[in-house]
This record gives sequence, structure tokens and C-alpha cells, in this order.
Amino acid sequence: MVQINFARREVNCKIVFYGPGLSGKTTNLEIIHKKVPDTARGNLTSIATEQDRTLFFDFMPLDLGQVAGMKTKLFLYTVPGQVYYDSTRKLVLQGADGVSFIADSDPNRMNDNIESFKNLERNLKDYGVDIRKIPLVIQYNKRDLPGALSIAELNAKLNPIGVPTFEAVAVKGEGVMQTLKGISKLVVERLNEEYAPVKTAAPAAAPRPASPTPAHGSPRPAAAAAAPAPAGQKGTSVRPAPAAPAPRPAAPAPARPAAALPPAAPRPAVAAPAPLPPAPTRPASPPPRPAPRPAPAPATTPDRKGGSKAWIWLLLLLVLAGGFAGAWHMDLLKEYLPPPPWKQPR
Amino acid sequence: MGMGKADESLRSTRLVFYKEDIERIAKILTTFLKNANARCVLLVDKDGHLVTKEGESSTYDMDTISALVAGSFAATKQMAKLLGEEEFSIMFHQGKKDNIQLSLVGERTILAVIFDDKTTLGMVRLYASQVSSKLAELFGEIADRKSEGEKISQEFGQAAKGKLDDIFGA
Repeated sequence: MVQINFARREVNCKIVFYGPGLSGKTTNLEIIHKKVPDTARGNLTSIATEQDRTLFFDFMPLDLGQVAGMKTKLFLYTVPGQVYYDSTRKLVLQGADGVSFIADSDPNRMNDNIESFKNLERNLKDYGVDIRKIPLVIQYNKRDLPGALSIAELNAKLNPIGVPTFEAVAVKGEGVMQTLKGISKLVVERLNEEYAPVKTAAPAAAPRPASPTPAHGSPRPAAAAAAPAPAGQKGTSVRPAPAAPAPRPAAPAPARPAAALPPAAPRPAVAAPAPLPPAPTRPASPPPRPAPRPAPAPATTPDRKGGSKAWIWLLLLLVLAGGFAGAWHMDLLKEYLPPPPWKQPR
Repeated sequence: MGMGKADESLRSTRLVFYKEDIERIAKILTTFLKNANARCVLLVDKDGHLVTKEGESSTYDMDTISALVAGSFAATKQMAKLLGEEEFSIMFHQGKKDNIQLSLVGERTILAVIFDDKTTLGMVRLYASQVSSKLAELFGEIADRKSEGEKISQEFGQAAKGKLDDIFGA
């Protein structure tokens, strides 16, 4: 589940590498760890058995840096592939934003592929997630095996949904980054659809055109076409920074609609007593009753964030005025002022 | 594996934290740190994302710790179920010098307290349970609130894709 933390200005996405045992999930992560630039790379942590089989999960954070004003991270997890680790597999899947299914091209492993894919579907369903809706790509790994199944065969058995697919030889590092990029893009597209202010333009529907894109090069051309909205941007050869800071003038920060916050009721109440003492010019015996104190509080409560300061000043002013009037009324100021107009001269 | 009602409600709700939330959480946590005399405290959601942290933590790899905290908590939960418990709400790992205690806050957040021999487990536990109920209440408020607040920028998708091309190779 994407976690968006506006306080820390962070977006965190969880991507899970799923698939049967020994299909190369951990290898994928190791290659990614090797290939990613230092600035983005986090530590690769494995909870593995002594034979280096994944016991619980492998984990690696990838730091994409600032993206449109948000510090964005991808958290990559692999699940243990072996059948009898289903309970831990399911735990790791919890809250996944995207899944990269690593399939084995070995004909003898086809049943394992199918079983694992069904297992994925079932486990997602238990979390209330439809496998057709979650960002998903399939990597056909071990393409260099003699006798590897053809892409058509693999697609027919594993990819009836028509998600983007990638060919890979993970041990040699081929196709690994393409797969990661493919799933990452689907995840951020989804994030954008769900969390960016709706501009109606890009039809949120048809996120996954039915054509199984046959691998390697460009992940899913059809999808790219489907989201043409921000026209010029895509072509601007130097993509990196430009999009980020500049063109988000009305960016989120200040525009926080007031409605959301709980009224800041308690704080002003605390503030009130403090300013009292200075009110009367001479601190004479009878302490001037802070007459109009409680009344205004609930009435004014303008809980727009910016207004709360003004509100405190207003309260202070009222208290001062009240103190002054009280002092005047009790003749404490008679040395300086004529009696107040509301008093009958005795 | 059956899922409780609570889990059901979690599915639909995404966690979005706003500045005011974190400020309130931070205040609670700082007080806790002072009272319990612990070194560092983290709030981690059950998916393994760090929500916020207080105290001295600069030397730790927070992302990984968060993922592992969530993982071990999830594993413990399964263990509990097998033993006929709904959930173990507290976990404690003792080291030579440093210790970590994990406790559940509300339905989907874990409070991880890292402390050393300057304090005692009892103190940590006492204050942790207080702070947990305070935080649980606060999270209830956050969950009930319709998230109408800030949005991420419209350019996020495009910008992120650009970044991905840079980092992973075009």
C-alpha cells in the first residue's frame, strides 16, 4: 500500500517479486543491487536459510530522490518461492503496490509457474486485491536455457490477462532492469491516477491494454499512448530534474483545505490566562475580573490555519479592553481619567 | 487463512499522513522518550513503511529496520494464531547492550522502542503501553477523517518515470 507521508514529504511504494522457487527472484534483486547507482541503492537484506534459499524475504530500498517535490522510495521485496512457505509469502505480499512475477522458462518448471501464479492470485484475493487490477508484470527468466519454452507458449499459459512481459537472463543481468522499470512505471502511473488532483484528461480506465507486449524493449507502448495528457513533457530529452520543482506552482503545501483539520480548540484556551496581568495600569487590590473572557471563544473559532494567530490577538485585545473598562469602572483610574460615561456622577 | 473484520477495513484505507498528524505524533513520542529514557522510537506501519521516528537514530538504516520490524511482527502474528491467540501485542528482543521492544498500536501500526541500560524494560513497557493507547486514539481520528487534504502533484507520474529512466537506464 502506498504510504504518502506529507509531513516527511515521502512517497513509499512496495514492489514484490513473486514466483516459484528457484525462478530467480533473489537473483533479480542482487543484480538490481549491483546495477543501480550508489545514490539510489539501499542495503540488500536477506532472510535466508543456510543454503541461501529465501526463508522469509529479501528486502532492498531504492531511493529515487525528489520526484515532484516528494522524496520517493521503492521498497523491493522477494517472497520465498517454495510451496511450503506460503504463509510467509502471503505476509510479504501484504500491502504490495505492484508485483513482478518471475517465471522460469524451463519446460519442466511450467507447472510450478502456473501453481505459483494461481497462488499469487489467491493470496491477493485474500487481501481483497484483484490480480487484474494491481500493477503486474511478468518476467520470463532463464531465456538462455536450451529448450526454453517459447514466449508464445509461456504467454498462453501464464498471461491470459495480458500484462507486460519481459525476457531475462537474470544471472547475466539481462532484462532485469527493464523488468524493474516496467513494474515501477506501472506503480507510479497508478499512484498518479489515484493521488494526483483529478484533471479528467487521461482516461483512468484501460490501464492495461489487452495486448501482451512481447518483451524486452519498450514495456508497453499501448499504455504510453493511452496517457498522452502531459503532451510536451515526455519528449524533452533531459527528463530528470526539469519536471520536478519548477512546474508545481500551486503545489500542495499551502493549499490545505481547512475542513480537514480538527478545530484547534484547546490551544487558545491555554493562551488566554497569560496576557491578563498587564491589563490594569496599577495592580491595585481588587483584581479586575476578566469579564468577557469565555464568550468569544466558541463564537469566533475560525479554524483556518492562518486565521488562528489573528484570533489570539483579537482575544488579547478583548481581554485588555475588558480589563481597562473594568478598572475604569471601579474608579481605579480616576486620577488619570474622568469617570466613565456610563456611570452616574455621584 | 481467514481475515478478521479489522483487516477487512484496512484493505480499503490507505495511509496518508499529514503534517498536523505527524506533529501531534511527534509530541507524544518525544514525551515518551523523555519519560522512558529510551534511545529512539519508531512508528512503523504493518506494511513495513516508517511513519515517523524520534530520538537518536542517525546510525541506523531505518528503511530496513522498518521492513524487518513489520516482517517479524507479521511472523509473530502467525505464530500467535497457530497457538490460538489473536495476536501477540508485544515483542521484546534483548541484546548485550541494546534492546528493542515492539508493541502494537491500534490496528496497523507498530511502535518500536530501542533502548539501552540507561533504563529498564519495566519503564519502557509502562510508558509504551500508555503511549500506545494515546496513539491508537489519534490514529482512530486520522482514519475517520476523509482524506481531502493535500494531493501529490499532477506531474508526479511523469517526473517519476523520468527518474526511473535515469536510474534504471533508458
